[in-house]
Amino acid sequence: MNLCKCPGCMKSVLSDFDDNGEIRENGEYCFTHHPKKNEIAVKIYNYIYTHDKIVGLNASGMTFSGIDLTDKKFYGCNFQHCFFIGIKAKNLRSRVCSFDFALFTDCNLLNSNIQYASFAGAKFIHVLFTGSDMIHDNFSGLSALQSSFDDSDLYNSRFIQANLVDTSFRNCNVKKTIFYEIQQTNVSFKLSNTKEAVFDKAGSQLFQGIDNEGIL
Amino acid sequence: MKIYFHLNLESFSNCYFVVNELAKQALIIDPGKINEQIIKQVEEGDLTLVAALITHNHASHTNGLKTLKKIYDIDVYAADAELAEQPSHVLKGDGTLSLAGMNVSFYSVPGHSADSIVFKIGNVLFTGDTLEAGIIGTTNNNYAKKTLVSGIRTKLYAQQDDTIVMPGHGPMSSIGAERMFNIDTETKIS
Repeated sequence: MNLCKCPGCMKSVLSDFDDNGEIRENGEYCFTHHPKKNEIAVKIYNYIYTHDKIVGLNASGMTFSGIDLTDKKFYGCNFQHCFFIGIKAKNLRSRVCSFDFALFTDCNLLNSNIQYASFAGAKFIHVLFTGSDMIHDNFSGLSALQSSFDDSDLYNSRFIQANLVDTSFRNCNVKKTIFYEIQQTNVSFKLSNTKEAVFDKAGSQLFQGIDNEGIL
Repeated sequence: MKIYFHLNLESFSNCYFVVNELAKQALIIDPGKINEQIIKQVEEGDLTLVAALITHNHASHTNGLKTLKKIYDIDVYAADAELAEQPSHVLKGDGTLSLAGMNVSFYSVPGHSADSIVFKIGNVLFTGDTLEAGIIGTTNNNYAKKTLVSGIRTKLYAQQDDTIVMPGHGPMSSIGAERMFNIDTETKIS
């Protein structure tokens, strides 16, 4: 929760570890300004590798490449501005985690259970969430290219201002899912309950009334 | 500090349980409904529930207060004087409190309701129905909407980008994301 000690830096600090290897809250620097970047990165990788249940980890800004997160459980973790490259995971579980502005590329996160998480402003390139429970998640401003949410439960999630290209939502539960102002190219919602989703805040233009824009 | 999220399935409102593990004290924000899980957390965690913080006086955010007050001796912090019976603390304007060993800042952001308050603990904003992921809270008229947008811009968007937003309804977000992608606070409203 603390801010980076570097003058003018407004980023939150990375997690640090005590002598027993447990997370302590009083880190000092963000990843960009950390004087021992490699050392802290190794500590964080090791912590994730050796623990199945990870609580309160702040790894914002770090790169995770080619690691296996199968059966890992993340609670209250901060992965804002992280890079996830070639991640493989099955049955990943996450609660109250932030992945805002993170980049996911070539990741298989099959059968994940990710609830009350935020992926706002994230970029997905070749990412598979097939068969996942992604309830109550925030995908506002998401850019997704050649990615799949097929067979997933997206109940009460939000894709506001998302840019979706060659991305599929086949056989998904999109009840109460909000898709305001999305841009879509070759997006499929086949077999999904799109009647239950919300695509347009104002409703049809026929019912918007006169001069709806610019009143304020 | 740990934050636990509870979804009130009756009205789809979010309730947050904020724990200071060192002091063994806790706060509850918007107790829309008190369920067994919340009671268990207090009892099994050997915690003292110090206060309930109310973002605004709408039933989906306050219905659990009556139950809570029956069980625990808690203070209620809200901007609506009607809401909390004694002992209560009526919040006015902006300020800072020290509760459960934590600094709790509060900002008055009216618009959705006249008594809307946003709480900040650590780098987390509990925005109630003022700011949600991608949208703002509902308003009764254009003037209220303008007031709400103005409050969000001046008080909430002034926070750092990676400040987490935990709203009263819907998923979490961050200030940086809202500044970029919230369709109701875009610059078309001056």
